[in-house]
Amino acid sequence: MAEKPKVIEKPDVLERPDILKPQAPAPLVAFPIEVVVPEGRQQTPAVGQRASRADGRLHGLGQTKYIDDMYFPNMLFAKIKRAGIASARIKNIDTKEAEAMPGVVAVITGRDIPCNSFGPSLKDQPVLADTRVFHAGDGVAAVAAVSEQIATEALEKIKVDYEVLTPVLDPLESLKLETPGVHAPSANIYGHKVIKKGDVEKAFAESDHVFEGTFRTQMVEHVPLEPYACIAQWDANGRVTIYSTLGRITLGRADVARTLGIPMSRIRIVATVVGGNFGGKNEIRAEPAMALLSKKTGRPVKCVFTRSEEFTSSTTRHPLIMDYKTGVTKQGKILGRKIRLVLDGGAYCSWSETTLGKACILSAGPYNIENLYAEAFVVYTNKTMTGAMRGFGAPQVCFAYESHMDDIAKALGIDPLEIRLLNAFDEGSLSPTSQKLHSVVVKESLLRAAKRFGWNGIGDGVGNGNGA
Amino acid sequence: MKRRGRGMACMWYPIGFTVAANPSAAVVKVNEDGTATLLTGTVETGQGSLTILAQITAQELGIATDDVHVVSADTDATPMDTGAIASRTTYVTGNAARMAAEKAKLTLFEVAAPLLGVKPTQLEAQDHKIFVKGFPQRNMHIGDVANHARVVSGQPPIGSASFNPETLALDPETGQGKPFGTYVYATQIAEVDVDDETGEVEVIRVVASHDCGTAINPMLVEGQVEGGVAMGVGFALEEEMLFDAQGRHINPNLTNYIMPTSLDTPDIEVDIVDSYDPTGPFGAKGVGEPTLVPTAAAIANAIYDAVGVRITSLPATAEKVCKALQAKREQQPKQIGTGAALDGAASINTAVQ
Amino acid sequence: MVNVTLRVNGETRSASVPPETTLLRLLRDQFNLTGSKLGCDVGDCGACTVIVDGQPVNSCLMLVGQVEGREVLTIEGLANADHLYPLQKLFEHFGSLQCGFCGPGVIMSAKALLDENPDPSTEEIRDALGGNLCRCTGYTKMIEAIKGASCILRGEEAPLVKSA
Ligand code: FES
Ligand code: FES
Repeated sequence: MAEKPKVIEKPDVLERPDILKPQAPAPLVAFPIEVVVPEGRQQTPAVGQRASRADGRLHGLGQTKYIDDMYFPNMLFAKIKRAGIASARIKNIDTKEAEAMPGVVAVITGRDIPCNSFGPSLKDQPVLADTRVFHAGDGVAAVAAVSEQIATEALEKIKVDYEVLTPVLDPLESLKLETPGVHAPSANIYGHKVIKKGDVEKAFAESDHVFEGTFRTQMVEHVPLEPYACIAQWDANGRVTIYSTLGRITLGRADVARTLGIPMSRIRIVATVVGGNFGGKNEIRAEPAMALLSKKTGRPVKCVFTRSEEFTSSTTRHPLIMDYKTGVTKQGKILGRKIRLVLDGGAYCSWSETTLGKACILSAGPYNIENLYAEAFVVYTNKTMTGAMRGFGAPQVCFAYESHMDDIAKALGIDPLEIRLLNAFDEGSLSPTSQKLHSVVVKESLLRAAKRFGWNGIGDGVGNGNGA
Repeated sequence: MKRRGRGMACMWYPIGFTVAANPSAAVVKVNEDGTATLLTGTVETGQGSLTILAQITAQELGIATDDVHVVSADTDATPMDTGAIASRTTYVTGNAARMAAEKAKLTLFEVAAPLLGVKPTQLEAQDHKIFVKGFPQRNMHIGDVANHARVVSGQPPIGSASFNPETLALDPETGQGKPFGTYVYATQIAEVDVDDETGEVEVIRVVASHDCGTAINPMLVEGQVEGGVAMGVGFALEEEMLFDAQGRHINPNLTNYIMPTSLDTPDIEVDIVDSYDPTGPFGAKGVGEPTLVPTAAAIANAIYDAVGVRITSLPATAEKVCKALQAKREQQPKQIGTGAALDGAASINTAVQ
Repeated sequence: MVNVTLRVNGETRSASVPPETTLLRLLRDQFNLTGSKLGCDVGDCGACTVIVDGQPVNSCLMLVGQVEGREVLTIEGLANADHLYPLQKLFEHFGSLQCGFCGPGVIMSAKALLDENPDPSTEEIRDALGGNLCRCTGYTKMIEAIKGASCILRGEEAPLVKSA
């Protein structure tokens, strides 16, 4: 049923009085009126041209409109209260004092969200935490006020009563069966994958040398220069328009529909140019909360994350612990490889399943390895959720397999380029999942990079570890 | 003293989702003057994907990039798209855009065929013209055909299509199957200076040879690689989110979370490897994510080459490299024989954690 | 509330705002000049860079009290109805920006550099951009464009096609 829109009589006094004053004269035209189309955009055939981007000129003029550059009449500003505790039970949230503040128009908590869970695979992430806090960046309440300043001040007035619990922070701890479940009764291991090919133990027995190594990577943030932002506008037909920094609007709409319990036809999601994504803007964040605040107030509501929230409350890159064991011949040919990956999955699943799968499949490297056993686990910890980030686990496993490769080359006295050429995929090679590969140019890339760089083998006094 | 080292790393990387369907749809409308509009549900997040999609559409229609206007990212207006993720836009959405443009083009061919006195299958579109294959002088301007399509034949040239990479489910026990439609390959070689007293690492130069299938727009490919390498330098040397013993964030700000500035970014030489993927639009695959995949490994190998310590945990901060150097000095005498490098690696591993 | 009057892009503007308002918020929220971006609000990223009396500053660090009567140049004031400013032209040509969010700040820092030093070396350019974070580009194509723009500003011909 359509909501009755709230009638706004007169904006109250606190509401940016200067907006009511006549604006200074509009600036002169700040861009050339004559359109000059760069050559690359005019040439045919179009493919292969160094065509400049259509938005390039707008970027340079400061005219690209990002979400935070959009203003609507009567717009409210929202802020989200963060738990600041890694693991806790929420006993009570008292929003009365905040609600009573002049300039605060509405406050919501997780209890106001019709279906408080979402996620691209496991739906284990709340829009706002209602009964449990799973990491320090969890939101517990959202405030809409007439100014950002007032919304920020109101967060201080929200009183949350927590029962603090011991967090699980180490992924290897989390992997142990006796460790209490982060999301008990669910197990801490929430994803597992195996790639198995040939007989790895037999290969090790037949190898001239067997090498082992353990490698670790850290948690990394995407740091898009534009922090997450969205504006929600609920209209009288019960339809909501959401302007958001989302990289995946189709999925975003499905998540908003699910969390709000309204049909997709009542949701419009618009993404303008996103100011950097790198995987960090691939699922909804505050959209459902903003939609509800807009519904509650009858006014457009804008939310822009602070830089700090970008770190604490958006997804990050999975830290990995990677054990490698590789059997080789004297000549450096890889006969078998065994890999174990443990992914720190953070507080929520997010894109962990994809990351787990890609990391596991790619972990052997671009090499022909007939005997392979790769196993990967992803576990919950009470840390910021890890999700999609440029490479989905590939930069982590590449760090491991390529460091390991150089260790092997060094020990066998083989040039790093040679050992790679000896093992690298060819056209038609079978991947670790026995997929027949096409358009394979790994050797070409090795040779081209070596040539361009001027790689001339080790032992020439440059690459022997003694410096130039 | 500063010591110079060089290290390489190669990689492979898939395009699209792991097995899971990740379709894109697209709509192409040719205007009465032969320019066109592409509707896509993907989002421009900086990579230049809309420019790439315009180029693909333009190529199929035989017009220029600037003739294609792209409408994107509005669930009310644009067709379904899995989105700007998994390095899939050029390959998946690109294929959809090409196929949609092809359908619109076929309508134009149907309209033009009787006018040129041939069958539609004998026509080709290039350089703003629709012409008879082998007889380029028998042609019509695409705008004239499009206008004729609207005002005379009543057949507005609109095409829609969708694409989903071909995959096969993985066996749950062995993981065997065909998880992805295609893969890209790359090698990066890094040159670094390591200060053997402070442990500070400076990346001087990175050569990056990347395969992306056909480079639809070499300038945008370079841009992706340059940005990816910079991000890889941060991953290798500086960036790390830290938590205290209670799990609270220690450095949730850009003052204490260090990422590459213009001063830390090396000279980056981009080299595009010739390749052609018959399953991609005009032979293209993708390039977004793989650009940072080998960087950290190449840098770690270069550090080893420079000072002989194996960094086994990232980031290789000055402090960590310094500690590893100390550990190496302390046990220098033991390092003889073939296995030494690995023994060294193991002990460094413990030392730096 | 404080009253502030200053010159922005050659025009006199004034507003009445709370004293804790930063120059960035003043430009964005009061004058609708949204070209300058907010990336961190604490002086770490440079997305808000504008030129105040000839000096590049992080406008998120300047309070309205500090800008009374001063001359502010923002990204909106660089081009005119006839021409793009050379930096803008070359940034477009070289595809120097990707998501573009850092762009206005980077271009203002570069403009301040070129005003001081018409023929900067790569190192000097890297130095000048040291306070402007960019996550997308690796800075490479920006440096190329700044070099090209410096040629144009010196009255020389700019290398428009990249010599790869
Ligand atoms: S917003 Fe001013 S420096 Fe980041
Ligand atoms: S272009 Fe995206 S941050 Fe610089």
